[in-house]
Amino acid sequence: MHMTTPPRRHALVALGVTAALALTACAGTGGTSAPAPVKQADVSTTIPSDPVTLTLAYSNDPPTQLLIDGFKKKHPNVTVKPQMTPFNDYIKSIKLAMSGDAAPDIAQYNPGAMNTLVPAGLILDLNPWAKAYGWTGKFPPSTLEILSSDKTAKQFGTGGLYAVPGGLSVVGVYYNKTMVKEAPKSLPEFEAALQKVKDSGGNPLSLGALQVGGFHLWNALLNVTGDVADYRGWVYGKPGSTIETDAARKATETLTNWAKKGYFPEGASATADPDALANFAKGRSAFLVTGNWGATALEKDLGKDVGFFLMPTPSGEPAKVASGASVAYAISAKSKHPNVAAAFLDYLSSPEAAKIEFDGGFMPVDTKAEVGGEGLRGEIATVFGPVAQANGIVPFPDYASPGMIDKLTPGIQALIGGKMTTDAFLKSLQESWDGHHGK
Amino acid sequence: MASELSSPAAPPRATPVRGGEPQVIHPPKRRLRGWLYVLPALAVYLGFAIWPAINTVRLSLLSWDGILPATFVGIENYIKIFRDSALFEAILHSLVLIVFFSFIPIAAGLLMTALLMGKVRKGMTFFRVVFFLPQVLPLVAVGITWRWLYSDTGVINQILDVVGLGSFGRAWLGDYQLALTALGLIGTWSMSGLCMMLFLTGAQKIDPSLYEAAKLDGANTFRQFLHVTLPGVRKEITVAGVITTIAALASFDLVFVTTNGGPAGQTNVPGLLVYRLAFNEGDIGGASALAVVLTVIVMTVVGGIRYFTRDRD
Repeated sequence: MHMTTPPRRHALVALGVTAALALTACAGTGGTSAPAPVKQADVSTTIPSDPVTLTLAYSNDPPTQLLIDGFKKKHPNVTVKPQMTPFNDYIKSIKLAMSGDAAPDIAQYNPGAMNTLVPAGLILDLNPWAKAYGWTGKFPPSTLEILSSDKTAKQFGTGGLYAVPGGLSVVGVYYNKTMVKEAPKSLPEFEAALQKVKDSGGNPLSLGALQVGGFHLWNALLNVTGDVADYRGWVYGKPGSTIETDAARKATETLTNWAKKGYFPEGASATADPDALANFAKGRSAFLVTGNWGATALEKDLGKDVGFFLMPTPSGEPAKVASGASVAYAISAKSKHPNVAAAFLDYLSSPEAAKIEFDGGFMPVDTKAEVGGEGLRGEIATVFGPVAQANGIVPFPDYASPGMIDKLTPGIQALIGGKMTTDAFLKSLQESWDGHHGK
Repeated sequence: MASELSSPAAPPRATPVRGGEPQVIHPPKRRLRGWLYVLPALAVYLGFAIWPAINTVRLSLLSWDGILPATFVGIENYIKIFRDSALFEAILHSLVLIVFFSFIPIAAGLLMTALLMGKVRKGMTFFRVVFFLPQVLPLVAVGITWRWLYSDTGVINQILDVVGLGSFGRAWLGDYQLALTALGLIGTWSMSGLCMMLFLTGAQKIDPSLYEAAKLDGANTFRQFLHVTLPGVRKEITVAGVITTIAALASFDLVFVTTNGGPAGQTNVPGLLVYRLAFNEGDIGGASALAVVLTVIVMTVVGGIRYFTRDRD
């Protein structure tokens, strides 16, 4: 027992160190002070001809590196240094990187994960450049809405513009032409086609409800069951908006019905999106609802046997609305060369960039550009163009509030499993919305 | 005991011991040198374990999104997370996981030890490698592999089909009732080898004469195991219990890649909720508060295990 004292003394030392650390800890986390905003008079569309180096932080490639190369051809004096980080790590680290002294000049922007950069004043309001370059005519307006927000970054589609897209995506329905002769023209026709596959003993629709596939299907149905303005207002955080609408009820019930009728594989809730895509690519199902990002892989596996259509409307009118997102880029408020960075953003809307974006697997920002698309991706571009030009791209529902994705994914799983009612599902979404935006 | 505790510790004597050189009190300088040796490890430990832990406690009292200035909110974050029923469900799930991560692997490890001890002379290394392999593989790879094994067209259902039990087949991880069990069994697979390794190592330290004595007393194999092997590896059982219980309560990576809490929250665990609060919702304060609560739970359970298995001698 004579050993008792020294450990005690050690404990005291440890306690002292702990206390000291705890006290010094209070010095950290002071938050970040916003740098002074750029003077409006400095905004210019001409860029200096002497050498300039910009850094660009991003996670999506393609198209970023190819766009950088394309820009370099136009402006040989500008060097853009790419900093690539895999998506999951990017989302966690970019906020810190942007608040640091060595912040990248341009950063790929994710409105859901990065919107706290707006109230912190760490990314520039691009409206002065939008006016100078005429961006509202160059970028599809609906794609700029989700990248615009008020100063608190709670309400989208209003206030400042914080990023512009450098590649668009769109969600629709892929079908296997060996199992389905013709793309259905209306929602009832689509349901009849699903039933036909089911009756013949096949798997109607691959669904990756473990991740985002489940609510992408719900979203696609919602686009054709009701007024798109209501849904947009809700995602944008327009005061007083609600998702507990008849349209959302109808979309939810359609999805539940399809689950009851056995249109989804039994293990949909445990299937990741890439696995759902792989199942469809192997010919194990007739339909798959996902974005154009899957096209390259599907074309490789299925060749000419795969087609694409937007979720058809109940009446059979051509679909005017589709869900989509973008790879967007923002400019750091700490950048020493905001005009040069803005020139890069402007380049994203050019016809040259359109080709690069399309070849990188995206839909081009310049929707009228001749990209020479063939096969499946050409088919997607054909149906996407009119929708984008008619302002028909709507954002994904997980942008509506930061915690929304954790209501959507489990909620869809519960609907498929028959464990949740339509009203309970919509209520859970609205609760998350109210928690973020206030009633 | 009491008198010993209250009496001051005997100071080191400067008198000659066993007639050798006189033992001197270490001067302060030598003491400092001792600390110097400890310093590198201590700095790493303080910087990367203790400091983040203290910082987490501090953050749990703040409302902070990771960027904007933080505001002090006291215990508000704690009140908020305790009002959310999701936390209790998640804790319940992690307690169920203890059965699969801890109880079953320890039992399996003991069984394998009993079977392998003293009987297998050749090929022991082979068994060790095979059973320890799950510990070497990264859990993310393990998780994705098991997700495929468990899928509706996966190997497990194919095997069931072959043996005529196809009607029991299902998408295991997507099944409302069985997802947590299916997830737990991945933990069992991963932890059993670790337990067996620990127990085998412990059992090899046991004096062979004890087995001989037991044999002479007429003890059969089972009795020998019960009265010689089992007491001999008691300390290892405690260690295994602590390690596996922490793995169950603080599980994250495995759940994140296999079910991500699904279907519909049936496999939510506290670690997953911490991640979502911090990285999906940007609520660093709430995430820290939940992490502190999780730490307290882990320490309580581990403390309980250590208390009940303590040396009573």
